[in-house]
Amino acid sequence: MIVLQTKELTKRYDSIKAVNQLSLQVEEGQILGILGPNGSGKTTFLGIVLDIIKKDSGDYNWFEGKNGRNVRKKLGALLETPNFYPNKNAQDNLKIIAHIKKVKNPRINELLEITNLAHRKKSPFRDYSLGMKQRLGIAGAMIGNPDVLIFDEPTNGLDPQGIAEIRETIVNIGKQGKTIIMASHILDEVEKVCTHVSIIKNGNHLISGSVGSIISDDVQVEIAATNMDGLKNIFSNDSRISKLEEKEGKLVLNINSEFPTIEINQMAYNNAIVLTHLVVKAKSLESEFLEIVSKN
Amino acid sequence: MLYLLKLEFLKINNYRPFIVMMILYLILLPVSLLVAKSLPEELAAIFSTKEFYTFPNVWRYLGYIGNWLGFFFLGFMGLLSVTMEFSNKTLRQNIITGLSRKEYFFAKLIFITAISLIGTFYYFLSGTLIGLFHANPYYMDVYTQGLMFYISSYFLMSFAYMSLGLFFGMLVRRTGFAVFTFLAYSVFLERVIRGIHMYYIESRTALFYPVNAMSDLTIIPFPNIANTVISEMDFNPFLTSGEAIITVTIYTLIFLFVVYRLMMKQDL
Repeated sequence: MIVLQTKELTKRYDSIKAVNQLSLQVEEGQILGILGPNGSGKTTFLGIVLDIIKKDSGDYNWFEGKNGRNVRKKLGALLETPNFYPNKNAQDNLKIIAHIKKVKNPRINELLEITNLAHRKKSPFRDYSLGMKQRLGIAGAMIGNPDVLIFDEPTNGLDPQGIAEIRETIVNIGKQGKTIIMASHILDEVEKVCTHVSIIKNGNHLISGSVGSIISDDVQVEIAATNMDGLKNIFSNDSRISKLEEKEGKLVLNINSEFPTIEINQMAYNNAIVLTHLVVKAKSLESEFLEIVSKN
Repeated sequence: MLYLLKLEFLKINNYRPFIVMMILYLILLPVSLLVAKSLPEELAAIFSTKEFYTFPNVWRYLGYIGNWLGFFFLGFMGLLSVTMEFSNKTLRQNIITGLSRKEYFFAKLIFITAISLIGTFYYFLSGTLIGLFHANPYYMDVYTQGLMFYISSYFLMSFAYMSLGLFFGMLVRRTGFAVFTFLAYSVFLERVIRGIHMYYIESRTALFYPVNAMSDLTIIPFPNIANTVISEMDFNPFLTSGEAIITVTIYTLIFLFVVYRLMMKQDL
């Protein structure tokens, strides 16, 4: 089933197009990372599909329109900073969420246990640290055990331990077969957590696919020698190299896997150049991302 | 409906500014009238306790006090009920959590209706008790005389002030600035506009402004003073009850309509 489909969603703020003709599709069971630099329109996009921001044009529908119009009661979402009633404690705040969602048995204590807040459930929200607020936000999103969860920068502002905890929580939720849409500007996070990724920049949709397909099979090899010009000449016309660039005194070759490094070394040697440096780097989402973003 | 009312109750049940205002309102309403008991002798001759505390006068005096209190306390409560949700971003969160924008609007509508009803019932209760204690002898027909009229005007007044508060809260969003705008308009700006209106078009049309109409909803309780003022002017400077009721109803509907439109159309 298609959980969320958007068609050419557009939102303008004055002359800036925060979201520009964005068409995306999220299928059941995916953990989709929406990846983009700060200000690329991730939150605006999620805001539109959650009805807190009004679109200018385009359309979206949840669950192929099968679950009626008021579908948000069946989603769990944490957008930007978690917002709760500051003078109410964790328990009472979650009760309000359960009331809105009409969840009969919200198992609040269990959720507070999972998010490690049980010991502070009676303290008012305003006294919470950033990490605790974020965790309460996640507990809030999980009320009613929704099949689809939406997280916007869930690890923003957390310390390393908090980041690890939240990522683990999200991965565990994903393992239960739930659909997760997560916006993030941290590549590493998307790579570690998500099964699919959509990259957006300046409100434009650049590319979508599984994390594996976006990260191509290309391998990067860094080589260096005393005679850099000679080295460059050897490899500049090889069809097996998709891209060649000089960076920080090293030559970076983007090669496909049929070009073993032993051959690279051999070719240099045959041309009377001895390599001083040879490192094989699997391409990360980061370099792929920078490549995609800079191309557009 | 109960679902939305309970939601609003869950939100405010330990929100201190709100509770303090409600308690102050409930205390001040009867107490403000009862302090007349400690008026100095000379004044007491003119306004004897009989004047203040017997049916049907008690409805008028208590309504007059309720009008002032309603403007401040109920107006602010209406205003706060939305601005606190803007400043905590809980309005946004309510929608994300699953409330529809329409449901949110109706929750606020039901909420101000409930508070207005509580205030009106309290007015009825205080008026009845004060009147009963001072009625000597007590006649049933004097008690019920005009009672329905006083009670419905009081409810309309309370509801109108809360709608006005809701309107300013929704329009301005930030608590401090919304309170400022609410006061600046009601206490100052509307009077200035009415003054200018009066200067150019000297007619009773200058009376048909929202806050003026709301304050004219409860009949001015000092008939002697009122009559002197009226006789000195070419026309009655107060709206009649009928005029006030119709004017306030129309303005209230407009305010609520604007609140509804803002709720449905705005980014939150």
